[in-house]
Amino acid sequence: MSPALFRRLILRPLRRDRARTALTLASIALGIAVVIAIELSGNAATGSFQSSMETLVGKVDYEITANGGVDEQAIAKLTALPLNARFSPVIEQPVVVGVAGAVRPAATTLYGIDLIGAGSGSGGAADSDSTGFDPAKVETFAAVSDDLAARLHWKKGDAIELRGRERRRVFTIGRIVNGQSTGWVGVDIAAAQDLLGMRGKLDRIEVFAGAGDGDSLERAIRAAVPVSWDVETPGARSEENRRMLRAFRWNLRILSYISLLVGAFLIYNTIAVSVVRRRAEIGILRALGTSARGILLIFLGEAAMLGLLGSVLGIVLGRMLASALLRMISDTVNALFTTSAPGAIALSPEAVFLAILTGTGVAVVSALIPAREAARVAPAEAMRRAIVEHETRLHVKRDVVLASAAATVAVGLAQLGPIDGRPMAGYAATLFAVAAAALISPAFVTGSIRALRGTLKRLAGAAGLIAGRSLVASLARTSIIVTALATAIAMMVSVGVMVGSFRETVEVWLDNQLRADLYMRAQGSASAGVFPPLSAEVPKIAAGVPGVEQVDVLHAFEFRYEGTRATFGGGNMDVVRRRRFIRFLAGDADTILASLPGADRAIVTEPFSDKHHVRTGDVLKIPLGGREVALTVAGIYYDYSSDRGMVLVDRSTLLKYLPEQPVTNVAIYLKPGADSVSVRHELETRLADYPLMIAPNDVLRRGAVEVFDRTFAVTWALEAVAIVVAMLGAANSLLALVLDRRREIGLIRYLGADSGQVRSMILTEAGLLGLLAGVLGLALGMALSLVLIYVVNKQSFGWTIQFHPPLALLAGALALVWAVTVVAGLYPARFATRLQPAEVVHEE
Amino acid sequence: MFSSKKSAVSVRNAVKRYEGGVLGLAGVSLECRPGTVTALVGRSGCGKTTLLNLCGAMDFPTSGEVEVAGLVTSGLGDAALTELRRTKIGFVFQFFQLLPALTAMENIELPLLLSGAKNPAAAARERLGWVGLAEKAESLPYQLSGGQMQRIAIARALVHDPAILVADEPTGNLDTASADGILKLIRRAADEFGAAVVMATHSAEAAAIADVRVRMRDGHIESVDS
Repeated sequence: MSPALFRRLILRPLRRDRARTALTLASIALGIAVVIAIELSGNAATGSFQSSMETLVGKVDYEITANGGVDEQAIAKLTALPLNARFSPVIEQPVVVGVAGAVRPAATTLYGIDLIGAGSGSGGAADSDSTGFDPAKVETFAAVSDDLAARLHWKKGDAIELRGRERRRVFTIGRIVNGQSTGWVGVDIAAAQDLLGMRGKLDRIEVFAGAGDGDSLERAIRAAVPVSWDVETPGARSEENRRMLRAFRWNLRILSYISLLVGAFLIYNTIAVSVVRRRAEIGILRALGTSARGILLIFLGEAAMLGLLGSVLGIVLGRMLASALLRMISDTVNALFTTSAPGAIALSPEAVFLAILTGTGVAVVSALIPAREAARVAPAEAMRRAIVEHETRLHVKRDVVLASAAATVAVGLAQLGPIDGRPMAGYAATLFAVAAAALISPAFVTGSIRALRGTLKRLAGAAGLIAGRSLVASLARTSIIVTALATAIAMMVSVGVMVGSFRETVEVWLDNQLRADLYMRAQGSASAGVFPPLSAEVPKIAAGVPGVEQVDVLHAFEFRYEGTRATFGGGNMDVVRRRRFIRFLAGDADTILASLPGADRAIVTEPFSDKHHVRTGDVLKIPLGGREVALTVAGIYYDYSSDRGMVLVDRSTLLKYLPEQPVTNVAIYLKPGADSVSVRHELETRLADYPLMIAPNDVLRRGAVEVFDRTFAVTWALEAVAIVVAMLGAANSLLALVLDRRREIGLIRYLGADSGQVRSMILTEAGLLGLLAGVLGLALGMALSLVLIYVVNKQSFGWTIQFHPPLALLAGALALVWAVTVVAGLYPARFATRLQPAEVVHEE
Repeated sequence: MFSSKKSAVSVRNAVKRYEGGVLGLAGVSLECRPGTVTALVGRSGCGKTTLLNLCGAMDFPTSGEVEVAGLVTSGLGDAALTELRRTKIGFVFQFFQLLPALTAMENIELPLLLSGAKNPAAAARERLGWVGLAEKAESLPYQLSGGQMQRIAIARALVHDPAILVADEPTGNLDTASADGILKLIRRAADEFGAAVVMATHSAEAAAIADVRVRMRDGHIESVDS
């Protein structure tokens, strides 16, 4: 196609219809923006998982870890081996930084490393040549990240106080490390062990390999340490983190694709309208010698232009949206999955290219059917629209059969299990369900309008009669806009039902779980997998406070099981049995819990059971304290605190294998009639020396629900975008219908319709579209909610959710969407009332 | 029905000038009485459609005066014009202009529905019978022939008993047999309902049924035959 033809046949029509072109571009741009934003913010939120210490100590080749901590004596054993490698002890724990004059101390991460050894020409930044490090002052030396220093207004030479479980120590800032995205403090390993009460214990041993065969080094290390210890590269840990987040990110991606899907419906509609409106032009072009292929290329070219321009706009918009979404997603990642510092949002050339390819590709694919229809039409038939609409009606029966088939396939797919841990069959089921809705839409529109015919005429007179008939007469286009709107509404309904059900399930679970009056934990990060230890004195002091009836403790820590991180906990099962209500998937709770004390038995959460295919009666082999312990699974219980999974034993069992394991959480039950506020005040007074957080039951409960609500904030944002895209499409399509029926509208004015009646007609059409889409969307949404609850969510995270649709919320949301659809008809209605009857009727 | 001998349409020295200075009418005067058929005849571009538009209050003169059903059209606002179209004027177009989504019956009912009349169906059924297409009540326009569609259009134009029937080339798109049928109906509309029919036409047969034949040329009235 020559540039002149391209300008006249593709660009000029787009420029002529400015309003509709703008609406279509906006729809595509929003769809692409959402997809890009989710991808960019997801990448940034999951971070690089790069060790913050790499800047200080150099690149680590291997990490040696063990459940419950690594015995320090292993360093000596490893160093004695004839290996070309350096072994360095590391402690990584939450710690509280005392800030002079601050009402609330700040929590950060403490790294304890061998500062002397790291300065021995390792090439790391701790080399004394580069840092001014004085070995004589190793006990009080601290390096801090520039991120933390900026937040707390520290500079080199400042004295800072660090508070561990039982002790406080003052350090001097000897170095501020630049280019850090998280806050941390680095001190000498011995100082860290002293501060945290971890004598003889390390969190890991880092291995710096010299020149030589990496595989043989790894084999030698594995042979030298207990079998239950892990030896892995830092990259494996990052990979594990990414795997944990995969399900979460995939679910967000699928939600973002819904907006694109709605946009695809609308592009189909736009091109279909363009074909109808330019049918005379098609006839003339064919008569002048344009081939069918040429006609096809004109309309595909129009779609490609819209896709390209929309994608470019979408990239700009998406980059801005990513910044807004990053905080939401990062909060969720930290709360539910793993500690991660958000990285920078990186819009790479590859991402730009992919976005343009996606947007343009979706536009072209969406336009294929109407473009092919345009190419197939013979010049004479291009003048008669009635025949096309008649043919659409004839296909309705066939489409009903296809819709039934698609629905059957959807039901079948929903029965299948996960593929590679992902609910791919579940996602496919949702696509088939949407396809079924699209196929049933023409029959649904026709049948509904027929059923409503009398009512429309009675309630709205001529406007109602014409509105209903017009929608059926333009069935090919009407059914597409109903499907697009219904898809967006279905997404809103299904996610609303899923989240509402989940919230109700979590609230019931919280009611059963949170039975104590007060809860205590150490100050520090509340991220998933982080359990700051408490001093052993804390529960004892708490028990002595007047008004306290009982103190329950939990020892929790992160551990590895079959290469995946989970939580291991030891609690007082007698207290749990008497005070709390744990719901088990099967079996009597009392019997199960009573079997735990003094025995090598454990209960596991539903997500743990799902991930590791564990059943009641199975034996778990878990490395604890240097040996492998066999724990029989006594029961599986419902738990919604995290999808990482938890194994819970009686405290006596845990301390048998890990006697030094610190308490991490305390629950306090008050005597009947005791005043919670004054007991809390007394606790704060008696425990002032310990860095603690004390929360009453209702505050903790509220906080848990807030975390839940924040988790789903991003899904609400995505839904809003899908609805906006659908609304833009509704306005676009209504305007197209008005433009296409200019002559009719002029004629109706001749027959005696006033402006108000013309406006009513268009708004009634908009209202009917909204109503039909609402009904279809509600039905589709309820079906999708079942897939989300019982298939996608279950297979992604392992949680069982009880079905509790939030009916009042749904009704309100549907009413709002209907109202907005009517509002979308205002501009087309205004356009219609301004048409001059004489001009439009005599257009020939 | 309108039975006074006073003119239903009265055009006095009407001039119509379009944008760019194009002269549509150059001072035309015309009277159309109830119960008569007035044919405006002439070549394309002679001004007959422009004059027809003035008679039907679809357009207004640049100067001069047009009185339709006793009202001077130039001074009327949108509401008054709408009322005029609802009650006093019926339109028949060359290309039928039926609403494709409505059945024959519904197309005929439409003016009464728009004006809020009671029991529009009864009046519509009567007009449908009057044009001889009672059996086509539920047919959609695409299911009808050109002649049938024009009959439906005439039924629609007469359903509210208008004083004036404006017809723009009513047989222009029809074969001879259908055209004859349409002309008979137009004649009956004037004779039986007393409507003042103003018809623009090329057709000699159409001109033959008229009581008054107005020949036009270059925006002037050349001659008036009765």
